[in-house]
Order: sequence, then C-alpha cells, then structure tokens
Amino acid sequence: MLSSLAFLLLHVLLAGAAASSEYDERLLLRPLPQSSLLASFTFRSTEPASTFSQQNLRYFPRSLGQILQHAHTEELHLRFSVGRWDAENWGQRPSYGAREGGTGVELWAWVEAQSEEEAFSRWLTLTNALSGLFCASLNFIDATKTIRPVMSFQPEGDHKNASNLHVLHGTLPHEVVCTENLTPFLKLLPCKGKAGISSLLDGHKLFDAAWQTMSIDVRPVCDAVSSTCSVEMEQTVDMVLDVDRAKRPRDNPIPRPLPIDEIECDTSKPYNAADTCYPLDKTAEPAWNLTEVFGRPLKGDCPLTEQAGDNANTVCLNIPPERTVQVNTSGEYAETQFSSGTLRCYKLPTGADFDLVLPKQQMTTGLVLAKPPLYAARSINGHGQERGSVQAIIKNPSATEPVEFVYLESLPWFMKPYLHTLRARVDTSPESPIRETYYRPAVDRQRGTHLELKMVIPPASTLTLTYDFEKAILRYTEYPPDANRGFDVAPAVVRLLSPNSQDKKGIYLRTTSLLLPLPTPDFSMPYNVIILTSTVMALGFGNIFNLLVRRFVGVDEAQTVGTGGVGGVVRGKLNRLKALLGKG
Amino acid sequence: MALLCKSRVRGVLRPLLIRAAATLLALRKDARLLKVPPYLSALCIVVGVAWLLVLPLDEYSRRTYVSENALLPGQVHTYFTGSEHNVFRAYRQETAALADKSVEERTQRLSTILGAHNLKVATQRYEYHASGRNISDQNVYAILQGPRADATEAVVLIAAWRNMDGKINYSGVALVLTLARYFKRWSLWSKDIIFLISGDSTSGTQAWVDAYHDSHSPDTIEPLSIKSGALQGAVAVDYPAGPWGHRYDKLHILYDGVNGQLSNLDLFNTAVSIANGQMGIGCTLQRMWNHDDSYHQRLQTMLRGMISQGLGHASGPHSSFIPYHIDAITLQTVGDGWHDEMSLGRTLESLFRSLNNLLEHLHQSFFFYLLLQANRFVSIGTYLPSAMLIAVNFSISAIALWVLSGRPQTPTPNPASTKPPQPDQQAGEKANEKEKEQDKPTFIVAEIAGAKTLIPASSLEITERPLFLPLTFVLATHFLGLLPLYLFNHTPLPYLSYTFTFVALTTTLLPLLTATSLAHFQRPTPQERTLIQCFSLLLLGMFLAALATLNFSLSFLVGLLAAPLSFARASRNKGLSAVVGGLLLLLNPVVVVWAATLYFGQDVVEVLVKAAEGWHVWGLWTQVVVWLVWWPAWFAGSVVVAGGLVS
Repeated sequence: MLSSLAFLLLHVLLAGAAASSEYDERLLLRPLPQSSLLASFTFRSTEPASTFSQQNLRYFPRSLGQILQHAHTEELHLRFSVGRWDAENWGQRPSYGAREGGTGVELWAWVEAQSEEEAFSRWLTLTNALSGLFCASLNFIDATKTIRPVMSFQPEGDHKNASNLHVLHGTLPHEVVCTENLTPFLKLLPCKGKAGISSLLDGHKLFDAAWQTMSIDVRPVCDAVSSTCSVEMEQTVDMVLDVDRAKRPRDNPIPRPLPIDEIECDTSKPYNAADTCYPLDKTAEPAWNLTEVFGRPLKGDCPLTEQAGDNANTVCLNIPPERTVQVNTSGEYAETQFSSGTLRCYKLPTGADFDLVLPKQQMTTGLVLAKPPLYAARSINGHGQERGSVQAIIKNPSATEPVEFVYLESLPWFMKPYLHTLRARVDTSPESPIRETYYRPAVDRQRGTHLELKMVIPPASTLTLTYDFEKAILRYTEYPPDANRGFDVAPAVVRLLSPNSQDKKGIYLRTTSLLLPLPTPDFSMPYNVIILTSTVMALGFGNIFNLLVRRFVGVDEAQTVGTGGVGGVVRGKLNRLKALLGKG
Repeated sequence: MALLCKSRVRGVLRPLLIRAAATLLALRKDARLLKVPPYLSALCIVVGVAWLLVLPLDEYSRRTYVSENALLPGQVHTYFTGSEHNVFRAYRQETAALADKSVEERTQRLSTILGAHNLKVATQRYEYHASGRNISDQNVYAILQGPRADATEAVVLIAAWRNMDGKINYSGVALVLTLARYFKRWSLWSKDIIFLISGDSTSGTQAWVDAYHDSHSPDTIEPLSIKSGALQGAVAVDYPAGPWGHRYDKLHILYDGVNGQLSNLDLFNTAVSIANGQMGIGCTLQRMWNHDDSYHQRLQTMLRGMISQGLGHASGPHSSFIPYHIDAITLQTVGDGWHDEMSLGRTLESLFRSLNNLLEHLHQSFFFYLLLQANRFVSIGTYLPSAMLIAVNFSISAIALWVLSGRPQTPTPNPASTKPPQPDQQAGEKANEKEKEQDKPTFIVAEIAGAKTLIPASSLEITERPLFLPLTFVLATHFLGLLPLYLFNHTPLPYLSYTFTFVALTTTLLPLLTATSLAHFQRPTPQERTLIQCFSLLLLGMFLAALATLNFSLSFLVGLLAAPLSFARASRNKGLSAVVGGLLLLLNPVVVVWAATLYFGQDVVEVLVKAAEGWHVWGLWTQVVVWLVWWPAWFAGSVVVAGGLVS
C-alpha cells in the first residue's frame, strides 16, 4: 500500500507543466520479487509552443521536431518493446501501462489534416521519416498495418483544433528491438548518455533485461489559466533486470555451476551428504549496486536539469525503510525521503560518479506491490493449415469493482476472423459482457481487420473471448524469407475505462503477440516443376519433331536421293522433279 | 546415312497409326490378354517385396545429414556439470521419496520444487475412459519464460512419471527438475522452455498437448491455466534408474508417433549427432541393441520400424505431439555401460541449445523416411514404389475381373479350326459329344465394301453386367466392418477376451454362412461373383494406394497380407475351393492378429486394451483400416471362394 502511494506521488512530482524551456530526468528503482529490479527512466523536456513553431529549440531535439512539423503531427506516441511484463509476480505496470507498447514497435499519432487521404499521406511521411531517425522498419507500417482506433486511444495533449485531428495507429510485432534503436533514442536527450541517469543506459544490459520498453511521447500542453501552450516530450525507458544475471561480468557471462561450497544446502534432509545437496531457496534480498547492475557507473548529474526543488531529486529508490543503502560518491549529494521512508530520492553530484550500494540483507518486511486491475492472456488454439481460433482470457481480480474496458485487435489481412463465431463469456454471469462493437473487416492486400470491443467484467470473474479465423494462402512472392517461422500477430491492447486514471494518460495493458503459422508452399517446388516440364518438353517435343521432319528411306534408295548438305538437297529436289516428270 | 529429312509426314504416319489402332482393337478381343493380369499382379507383388529388400543396400539408402543450418548440432560447449550433479542426486532422492505417495502429494511436491526455481507452475488433471477402465492422473508443468522471448515460441522437455513399461522414471524426472534450475540461469533462450512431468507416458502427454491446443474434451480434462507460444519441438527423457543411479550404455531414440507419423528427420539427426559426436554416447533405434551395420541388421531395423509405424501406436511420451506437427523424440537409456546422468543432461542441454537456434519451424528435412541405422535412411521417393506396386496389383486384378465379367459366358470357338476348341474337353469326350452338336457355333455374314466375312454370333453379343447385387454386397460388407470396430472399442476389459473369441469364430464362419444362404436364392451367379471380387479389389487397391502416402508401412503390411485375394477365384472344383478357402481362413484379419500376438509373445487382450485406449485417447486409425479396408476385402474374397464350395 505504501509503495503504490509512493509511486503515485512520483508521478505527481513529474506532472507539472510550464511555459518555459525545461528539462528534467528521473530514475526510479524498485526491487521486485525473485531478485528482479525495475528501473524506470523518465526524461522530460518542454518547449514553448511559440518557439517550437519557429524551430527555435533548446531541449527538444531538432531532428524530431522538424519531422513532426513537416508531417503535421500534433501528438506522437512511439514504443519499442521486448519481452513481457509478469503481472502475477511484478504487480501493476509502471505508469499504469500508459508508457508501454506491444512486442516490437508500436506507433500512434494524431495528425492534422483536412481529409482522411491527406491524413494518411502525412502518416506515411511520418513513418518513413521516423524509420530513418530510429533505425527501425517503421516504413513497413503501410495501409495493411494501419488502423484508425475509435475507442482505444484518447489524446493526452490539449488540442485546439480537435476536429481536424486524425488518429492513426500501426504496429510491427515482428520488429526486433535492439541497440541500433537505443543509440538514436539516447541522441535525442540533451545530455546524450554522457551524464545524468542516461549514462547508465548500456545496450548490453538493457537488451538482456527480462522486459524492457522505450517510449517517446510528444504532446501539446496548455495552461488553462495563462492559456500559454508548450510542447512536451517525454522519453521513458522501463526495464526489469534479473539482478543475478545482470551482475555477471561482461567478460564472463556464462552461468557456470557454482562450486559446491558456495551453494547453500538443506542440511535437514536425511540424504544430505558431500555429493548430495538439496539447494535452499534464497530468502535474503540480493546485494547489488548501480555500477554492477547497469554495467557502467552513473556519471553525476546532467547539468541541464533543475538544480533545486523536487525535480532536482533525480534517482529514487522505492524500498522498505529497513533496507540499508550506502552511497558511494566523491561529490556532493542530497537525500530526501518521502512516503514514510519507502521512497528515497537522491540529488546527484555534478561531475562525480555516483553509486548506490545495497548489501545482501535478510528482510522482515517487504514492499506491497499494487495489484493490476486486469490480467490478460491470449493464445491461438487449434492446429492445421486452414483454420484456427483465438482465445483471450481476461481476469478481474478485484472482489468488489466491475471493470469496463476496450479491447482492440488489429489483425493482418491474411488472418480472417469469422465475426459470427465471436463469443464472450463471463464465468459468473450468463449476460453477455459486450457493450459496444466496432468492426472494420479486412480487404485482401489493402487493409487489416480492426476490431474494438467495449466490455464489462463483473468483480472476481474471468472473461473468455474466442473467435475462429481462416488462414489465407499468400502469393508465392508475398512470403518472407523465414516463411516457416509463421507470421506475427500484433498484441491486443486493453484500455480501462473504469476505474479510470487520474490523468489523461489512461490505464493500458497489452497481451503478448501471437505466432500464426500459415500454409507454406514447398519453395523448391517451382524449380522442380520447371526442370521436370522442360525435360518432358525436350524429350517429347524432340522426338515428335524428329519424326515429323525426317523421311525414312532404304539404304539403296539413298544413292538416288543423294547425300546431305545444300547440294544434296538441291540434287534431291531435282531428282524428285525428274521422277514426277518421268511419271507424268 | 540412309535417312533423309522430308516433310512427307501424313502419308507415312497415318497408315501406321491406323494399323496400330486396329491391332490394339483386335488385341482387346484376344483371349490371351486375360491370361496376363494374374501374372502381372504377381510380378507387382514380387517386385514390391524385392524392392523393399534391396533398400538396406548402400546403393539404395543414404547417410543422414542435418538439413537445417540453424541447428548447428554440438557446436556449443556444455556446462551442466559440477555442483549440478549434487543437486541432481538430491532431486533424485526427492523423486524416490514420492514413489509411494498419492498423486495429489506428488503433484504438490513437484510443483513446489519447480516453483522454487522461479518458474510459472501449473497442474492439469485428466481422466480418460477406455475398455471400461479409468485412466486418470495429473500433469505438472512449468514454463521458463525466455528472457528474450516474446511468448510466441516454446520447446518442451518432458519426463513422464511412469515410462512405457510402467516403471517410475526417477532419474528422468530428477534430471528435468535439475535442468529447469540450470536453464533458468541462462539468458540466451530465445524461446520459452516448458518442463512437463506428465502422469504417464501416453495419455498424460496427450491430455496436455490436446489442452494446449484447446482440442480436449472439457468434461474430463482440465484446461491449461497458463500457456506459452507455438510449440516448436519436444524432447522426452526416459531414465528409470532409482536413487542409487545406473550407468547406461546407449541412448535409444524413439521417433515414431501415433498413426505412423514421424518427427522431422533433422531432430533425430541432431540428437544422434550430439549424443554420438559430442558426448560419445552410442545411439540405437527400434530396440536393436547391438547393431553391427550388416545387411541383415539393417533390414531387421527397417522391418521393426515398419511394424511399429504400421501399428501406429504411441511409442513414448513424444508420440502425442507429432499429430500436432510438433516434432518430438524420446531419449531412452538402455544397457549397462559407463555413461551417467550428467552426460544425458549435457546431451539435453546441447539439444536445447540447438533447438533454441531454430529460426523457423523444422521443415527442411524429411518427414517420411525409413531408418536403417542411426545414420542411414531411405527417403519416401525410394521406398514408396514398393507399397504402390502392392496396391497396384489389386487394381490390375480388379480391371481384369471387370473385363472378364463383360465377356460372353460361352467361349467363342475358333471358326477355322477343326479341332475341339479347348483341350480339356477331350477328357470327357462322351459327354461333350452331344454338347458339341448342340453348341455348334452360329455365324453371321457381314459384308463390307463387297468383301464378305463370317463372324461368330457370340462375339457380337452384348453381355449385360448386373451391378445391383455386387455393389450392394460390397457396400454392405464395408459397413459391416463398423460392428466389430464398435464392439472392440467399447467392450469393457473383462469381456474383451470373450469378444475376441466370438468375433474370431463369427468372422471365420460368416463367409461360409453367407455363401450358403445366398446359394438358396441361386445367387450370386458366376458373373456376379466376378463383379463382387472386382469391386472389392478395386476399393482395396484405391484405399491402399491412398494409405501408402500417409502410412507406408500399414499400407504395405495390409497389402501383403491381402495379396492372395487377387488370385483367389471361385472354382467349380470343390477340392480346390476348399484348399483356397482354408488358406483364406488363415488370412482372416482376426486370425492374423492372433497369430501375430503369439509370434511376438504378446497377450491378445493387452493388445486390444491398447487399441481401445488408442482409439479413445490418441485418435488411433489403425483399427479403422483393419475393419473398414482390410476385413471387408477379405470377407468379400472369402464369400466368393466359399460360393464355389457350396454351389
């Protein structure tokens, strides 16, 4: 309970908007069960709207700003994600899932345009430009991967000309997020990974995490009182590290079995002997420090952040008050405690390395993790080359509160759902949980299926959503090189409507992506067919042609016909003519 | 050169073609032509069998090779040693302590151990009913979520609590528990790894894999509470050594699944290459413990493989996965040697590292093959003609019988001959004298373009084929097979032995009874008999040819056992009919099954119980082939032969 309070507080701290250029950053570290560690990096820069339109930018990256202006994009949300959040062990998602994307790359934006066609052409401009900027295949977000969500996404910013705004959404579930995406991400930061908390972001550790998501959110923020607007860009990196794995040195990453004397054995077992050891569970909190876990030291403060006030507290630890923390730095730092000691924040020294050391410790109290409002899992059922079915299981753990949510599916065109087979059942009531349906069927090779369902789950119930689908057969050239792997289907997005979040960000969760095996031809078949047909043609045609153009004559007649060559042919003709004349 | 090119085509070719067509048409009426098919059929069978016999030779088989480049078998260093051995011994003690515990307690304890490794653990109850028995137990499984995986793909490591022989798989289960702990520490897994400890070797895995694809019956089988992505492969381990261990000699690799489906050859090759090349453990297959790579041993391996494939039964915990297009094998330890559990563990580690490398579902290598040895195989293109030839023999016979049925019943005499047309008529000269007088052939004078000719009237007769009785009979025979099929799959265990005796007696007597009762109505006429046999063989030929592409071995075995049906004809000679009938009685499918159980030292009832379990649990189709393809063909053939006996 305390932790969730602290978590809320942290968000409130970061929520203030201002009309002047500002930059602040924050790192929240929170140990999770099973020796995991959640690290949430947030970087926020604000630019007044007036200077933004003149491209007079201070903290806002010019490269991105120009793209947004060129593509008339008012609000942008870009996500790069790997892995999955383990809600049962780790509880509520960071930022209530609002800064998280589905596996791969997810992009949605509000584009200003007079018509749908114009909006789409600007969207293509945007995806192509972002593709170059972030070294991602965003340019593959074409019409078949783009949908226009109706209920699932609401603008976070304050927009003036809301009627001309079009929301477009695209995903690339197969995109593998890696270091080449991190580098451009860091370049957008004012301190560019050289100082401040961004100096901790190391590609090796980030992509070894059990779950990580990078996000970029640009939105206009207006102050209702002074009616001055500014453009705010928020970059976040959320990652869950396995402490044991992250602590392994980079030059020796192989998890060799430990020497037997380093393993804690259960000596109460009757068979315990020198060669038999039942390993005991680790109950103590593991020891870790920043340098070890992130693979590089924290190089002091980014000098562009505010030096006073709450926003100056850059590194925060969300740990029980009894946990020992040592600070290792040669510079000057300050520690502040919030929420009765469960949140400890540090103001970083400038120009000096900073390290937090947490020793191994046997804990008596633990943090209470906030429970997520919903659990969602989705899988493909059935087998075979022709049909299948999708099953989504959504659980409401709350004993008292019903949950209303929007479920968004964006399916590729070659996965054709049968809407008449769509069934939603709640185990505790016979009533259908579906309140509203928005469905836009796919058109082959033109666009994908877009399905949005507004549903309600009663308290302590499980909702099972199933629908059948048919697999299309692709053209020979439409298969990717790894056709037999299957095709990725984008994760479903679940947005909670009630209970709603306090801010405009909303509460989201996403399922994992699916792998859809499609019928694949034997790709060597055409070559076999060509070879076989050519052989048959050559043999058959050759023989028949041979029969057609040859004349068989006896050896004795050959003399009169003459030999080959042009002379022979002419002589033959003459002979024949003579014979005919003679006959006549 | 005496040949010259000239474009005088038509003049030369047309008369040639006309002449050829005329010859062919004349040949159609030739009585000699009908003598050919039985020899052709026999030739097909002989060539089909001989084809199979040459397959083990080096010239007709190939060395195995790994097609899928991503697998890179044995290219990684394995680290499953040291203190893991101590942990393994402790887990083996733990599993040994669970031997006498209840299913609930066992499940509880295994879940606790797996849960302590920070894996997601779940259990599944299942219950099947077959032959009046209840097969119920529980599966425990744990999912290691690959650190870089996105829940789209998974591989499965299985240890059944009891192996196929009913022994408790102590070391196998302990090895899976230890590997689960060891694998968790690695960060390189690109797929989820599912550790499955199934209640037994066949129905437990079947219940699990059915539920994983949501194709289970929800009344008796619990759905899975947690799932991962598409399964890419499964490896089962069978190592029933008790708490004090047992050093083994070889790994016995089981690769055949239900209904004779096989796992991709690449998976088998990877396992052999890792065990043999990297770990130095010998590999063997089809219970050939001492394979010296001789022709005889290769042939024996192939035939054992064919019998196993033909029966289509589940041969291990991996079998249930194969129908879902999940390639799976079982590694079984056999013999006394010097390899220990850690080398098996390292083999599994290396195998999972290879599977982890897979970028696509296994698709490169063969799905249809016959293995002769751990590193020698025959691919479908080479062996398929063998079963096809056997199937074709029935089609040839059927076509010949069809032609025969359309011929005039009275033989056409040779108008030019002065001798009696058939030599056998010389035997009963006196009796035939009168007949000959009566049967003096009538001739018709035909005149074409001024030329006159005498044509025997009988050769201008049109013979009608009465199709109603033959078609009805053959259809009814095929539906009759449903009765024993239902009977064997639904009889409770205590009555199975009586049912078998009853069915054996009934099916043995039924052809004679049917023929006798039909004889009361003066049916079937010889022509109808020919037609019955024709349709029956036609169907058999078609079914077997289609089956050969799905389950080569079953098609071949059934074809071989039904081969005499191509040659068995109704004969007026009672003695000959009795001999042929007696031979056919021996080839009654029920008698063949009984004889096979005697030969292989099995109990008939046990086989029937397994078959019923196969029908209800694994979706086994062998019985369908036996009762709806093989038995009707045998029955029709026997009725025809018995018809000769009673008429």
